[in-house]
Amino acid sequence: MTTNAQTPTKIYFEDVQVGDQVPKLVKSAVTHLQLVRYAGASGDFNPLHTDPKVGEMLGTGGIIAHGMLIMGFVGQMLSDYVGPAALRNFGVRFKGMTHLDDVITCTGTITEKSEVDGEARISGKVQAADQNGDVKVTGTFVAALPRRG
Amino acid sequence: MFDTSKIGQSFPPFTIEVERCKIHELALAIGDDNPIYHSREAAQAAGYSDVPLFPTAPTLFTFWGNTKMGRHLIDIGVNVMGALHGEEEYEYLAPIYPGDTLTGVTTLVDGKTRKGQTGSMDILTLEVRYTNQHGQAVLNAREVVIIRS
Repeated sequence: MTTNAQTPTKIYFEDVQVGDQVPKLVKSAVTHLQLVRYAGASGDFNPLHTDPKVGEMLGTGGIIAHGMLIMGFVGQMLSDYVGPAALRNFGVRFKGMTHLDDVITCTGTITEKSEVDGEARISGKVQAADQNGDVKVTGTFVAALPRRG
Repeated sequence: MFDTSKIGQSFPPFTIEVERCKIHELALAIGDDNPIYHSREAAQAAGYSDVPLFPTAPTLFTFWGNTKMGRHLIDIGVNVMGALHGEEEYEYLAPIYPGDTLTGVTTLVDGKTRKGQTGSMDILTLEVRYTNQHGQAVLNAREVVIIRS
């Protein structure tokens, strides 16, 4: 279900420059089965994400993906990039609904390098959009990176 | 419309044990097959002391641990059935690993009612501050929920 490498090469603070792109992550198309699995795993059993009848009733054009699944896709991109333990902050705003068969691409850009609490940190903005370029989530992250030497 | 006098109120604490299998399930549902989320041995080989927290794993703590939250919100006049997720943010303060027992305290930190042409909506900001079994602050989670009424 992923197109990315599994083991990221270790990334150092000195290697990152403002304006650099986070290696993008293109996910497989969202399926009904994935939403059922995500519901079971996350504990979010809102039927709007799993029951097509509820989706029709609410006028959302069928079932829609959990926003947190899409945040999870962005989380996967960041995990691949810096590793989960490096993250200091990660936040998103939910902008649009994701439907079945949507192909989500996650991207990010480095916006700042800083030194906080003795840590070398990078900040960036991230987003997830579908095959038509419709944005589903936008967000930001902060990660602490090791220095060379 | 919710009871705005409740802004600033904290709800009774909840506890949740961090489980390796739940992290595995969540990563699997998201489609992240990085072995660090699926095997303790692989995580240790990558330099973690155990399976690390997937970036969006804090969603597990609220859905599986904070099960009375819906009831608390209903009690202050929030129509939880019409709730939409607006924003989600995590501040990772210290490592969290399987076997840790977290205590979360939820506070309604902000809230407002906006009147529009199709009715009014309540916008609530909830913050959960988590400490571990040693009393150490490990995570702050903040979410914005939008309730159409």
